Amino acid sequence: MTIKLWLAVWAGRMAGWVSRLTGRGGSSLPGLVARRLEPATLTQLVRHLSWGAILLTGTNGKTTTAALARQIFEEAHRRVVTNRAGANLIEGLTAALVQAERWRVAPRAALALLETDEATMPRAAREIRPRVVTVTNFFRDQLDRYGELSTTVKYVARGIEELLPEGRLVLNADDPQVAGLRRDGVHTVFYGLELAEPTSEGDAEAGDARFCPYCGTALQYRRRYYAHIGHYACPGCGWERPQPRVRVVDWHPGAGWATVEVDAERVTVPWRLPGIYNLYNLGAGLATVVAAGLTLEAIQAGMERFKPAFGRMENLTVGVARWWLALVKNPTGFNQVLATLAESRLPSFGVVVAINDHYADGRDVSWLWDVDFERWLPRLSAQHWYVTGTRAYDMAVRLKYAGLSLAHITVETHLEAMLERLKRQERFETLYVLPTYTALLAIRRQLTRWGVTEHFREG
Amino acid sequence: MPNQRPLKLLHLYPEEMNLYGDRGNVLALTRRAEWRGLTVEVISRGAGQLVDWDTVDLVFMGGGEDSHQARIVDDFLRLGEALVPRLEQGLPMLAICGAFQLLGQSYETADGQTLPGLGFFDAWTEAGRVRAIGDVVSKTELAVEPPTIVGFENHGGLTYLGSSSQPLGRVLLGRGNNGKDGTEGAVKNHVIGTYLHGSLLPKNPHLTDLLLSWALRYRGVAQELPPLDTELEWTAHGVIVSRAKR
Ligand SMILES: [Zn+2]
Repeated sequence: MTIKLWLAVWAGRMAGWVSRLTGRGGSSLPGLVARRLEPATLTQLVRHLSWGAILLTGTNGKTTTAALARQIFEEAHRRVVTNRAGANLIEGLTAALVQAERWRVAPRAALALLETDEATMPRAAREIRPRVVTVTNFFRDQLDRYGELSTTVKYVARGIEELLPEGRLVLNADDPQVAGLRRDGVHTVFYGLELAEPTSEGDAEAGDARFCPYCGTALQYRRRYYAHIGHYACPGCGWERPQPRVRVVDWHPGAGWATVEVDAERVTVPWRLPGIYNLYNLGAGLATVVAAGLTLEAIQAGMERFKPAFGRMENLTVGVARWWLALVKNPTGFNQVLATLAESRLPSFGVVVAINDHYADGRDVSWLWDVDFERWLPRLSAQHWYVTGTRAYDMAVRLKYAGLSLAHITVETHLEAMLERLKRQERFETLYVLPTYTALLAIRRQLTRWGVTEHFREG
Repeated sequence: MPNQRPLKLLHLYPEEMNLYGDRGNVLALTRRAEWRGLTVEVISRGAGQLVDWDTVDLVFMGGGEDSHQARIVDDFLRLGEALVPRLEQGLPMLAICGAFQLLGQSYETADGQTLPGLGFFDAWTEAGRVRAIGDVVSKTELAVEPPTIVGFENHGGLTYLGSSSQPLGRVLLGRGNNGKDGTEGAVKNHVIGTYLHGSLLPKNPHLTDLLLSWALRYRGVAQELPPLDTELEWTAHGVIVSRAKR
């Protein structure tokens, strides 16, 4: 470390203290001051990061994406330096590194996660040499600032040229201008939306980038999520939306969760932010941490803290019984629900499990074998299991191999028939009803027909 | 029967190679043995650990993520020196997905490298462009009744069988080994390789019992497995078989 850098960092920090004491904002001021004394402040501080730097750029969603990625990194015990929202010019990035520590000069963090203005990308990338560059989207609001959209795209493309040799690109597959930033030889993690159900949002909105970045032909959309964001193909040169590695495949705003696939794996995470656009931030955040080498388990752990959506049960009265409803979707969620039942301390209750394998449920029911029934069955005082849905027999077999006697299992694949039967049952005062997603919808429809939905607490 | 020593089931790489509920296969083998008064001892073996091969009666290995598979592959190739001669002598094994691929001559990684496998099966795997995902029903030539096998496939690799190989089955539903020749999995001696999850064995109790009987025979015990009430399993099996007929 040079004396010049030491002086620059301390001068920058003091400028920051003074400006905060005197009530002026100036979150970029420490960077500005430090760079006066040592123009290479940013470059030199970044070298101390044990892992490296991630630059996040694009028109919308930088801040949310950064917050999400930071949460997951920190939950995975990686120290992260971030810049303040909006302080995304070169001085702001420098200020973040200058102020990363209180007493030490060099940052002890593993990585810096820096949202970066698009026009600053060439310079920031040259000084920082990022390991990952994430690009969210390009919208027209930048026309005023940089002329035309393609100018903005070029700035970002120049930034990408400064990626480290082993560096990775994270690109939104559903924004054609962003997807067109891919380049040969650069490892790219694409993300996008692949929701099963059509969305109502913004079908007819005017799009910005409706033309092929390679040949200029108007793109054709098979599906448009909003504006120019969607699934497209070029009739001119045949270029089309790349197949993303990170895919948001399911979203239930009421229940507060989303399902994301990463390669061949899928994970369901609590997700309470509104709007399709925020789903893209979810995709961008997860793709960024995937590009940085985190596993799906780390992602799951990091996301759980966003808000536990599972285990929060709806309850209502049907006939003589209290029904508690909780969605089951993956082993983690199912285990959490079983843990909740084990804590209930009720002397007697019945459990209803409704397993469908329609697209929105996930076609593969293998995951039932990863639910830890072996652990939970002995701790549950459930007297009887009612099993229903298209894959009721898979569920029944699962319970049998977990050691449950067949005398305690009733199977009826037809969900409505099972519900009619349960409506009349008088054996249990409490039933826990655990459906997959489409089974939950079917149950709600039936409850509506019975007129008991008013007790619902949505989400 | 009760005073026999337990059947020893070697579960290879349970941490790394455990995708899509593959542990259900171990559970099925264990339970169906227990329900007949046999005990099963499951030996879990991770990379770098030793195996007392002379006590192993049956081997199971599942599929894993690419990165996980990459972590165990060197260890597995070393293990092959002891494993392959025993498989040649009739040690039964069930190899799912990635494990099936690794028992072949070679396989191609997602980044395009072709790497050697154990070469037990005359088969090789190339990287495919689209993943094969969905229900599978196949018809097997193994001497089991019924002749159908059901499961769920989810694989990117395309596996091709050499002329000396016998497939586990021919697909009635789903893509199978490569989506072209209709084969699914492979059988050689008492080794079953397949792409089917689901888990495979709970829903295919005939295969479970076949593996158990092979394990008993490998150990030198002449013993018929008494029949079990398997109606529930066969109904679950039938749900998927009926999808092939639609
Ligand atoms: Zn074109």
